[in-house]
Amino acid sequence: MSTPEPIDCHEAAERLYEYLDGELTPQMEASVREHLKACAPCFGLSEFEKSFLSFLHARTRARQAPERLKKRIFEQVLFDRGSPENE
Amino acid sequence: MATASEERRKAFEREALPHLDAVYRVALRLSGGEAQADDLTQETMLKAYRSWHQYKTGTNVRAWLLTILRHTFINQYRKAKRAGPTVDIGEIESYSIFHDVQEVDPEGAFFKQIVDDEVLRAIDSLPDEFRETLVLSDIEQLTYAEIAEITGVPVGTVKSRLFRARQALQKLLYDYAVEMGYIQEVKK
Repeated sequence: MSTPEPIDCHEAAERLYEYLDGELTPQMEASVREHLKACAPCFGLSEFEKSFLSFLHARTRARQAPERLKKRIFEQVLFDRGSPENE
Repeated sequence: MATASEERRKAFEREALPHLDAVYRVALRLSGGEAQADDLTQETMLKAYRSWHQYKTGTNVRAWLLTILRHTFINQYRKAKRAGPTVDIGEIESYSIFHDVQEVDPEGAFFKQIVDDEVLRAIDSLPDEFRETLVLSDIEQLTYAEIAEITGVPVGTVKSRLFRARQALQKLLYDYAVEMGYIQEVKK
């Protein structure tokens, strides 16, 4: 495998979210990874953003559709029961 | 023998209903209220059920449902004014809060003191196109390509909206944390 193309701090910061989201091409991903290994400030930024994103996900994901809604959808959508004209 | 409508019901139950929570979560953030989210979710599932023949088995059912949800929201609900203020994202500088807090809290521990409702309130104050992009990515963990498909914009637009939405959200949460005394404001 060839050595990754070196990138500067500006580009690493610009690509960081794509890197953390797993959206980069393998070549660019390797370039960002190498930059983060070699550059302490960018590594710090990367750790901060990573923890921000996992915090965000953890705080917002728990919500589920309420039981009453599941029941309503089951009855009114799937079985077409309980709609006003049938009551 | 099962009738065609029974087949459809079984297929819908098996493939679409497991995504009900995702549809509801996105509906909640788009519409901004529980009663509206209930109606929006039900309307979405009803439309999906009625057009189930258009869904191609084996393709991305969650993205398909969320596309229906988004169209339903735009056509029927967006006209209704959302509660609460919307931030002007153009006013928010696009840079990471890390640069402000790295000396005092490099790991962003202050975020963890912020309660769920406050996080959701901050998300809800983002303008529509930024909010929907962030919700699909950071709550539902969809890929950029899926978000582009659902929101009908190029992947590049998804990237830039997501970038700005995340940085704006960080700033809102940071300002809130400063106000609550979770972190001391660092003077620039």
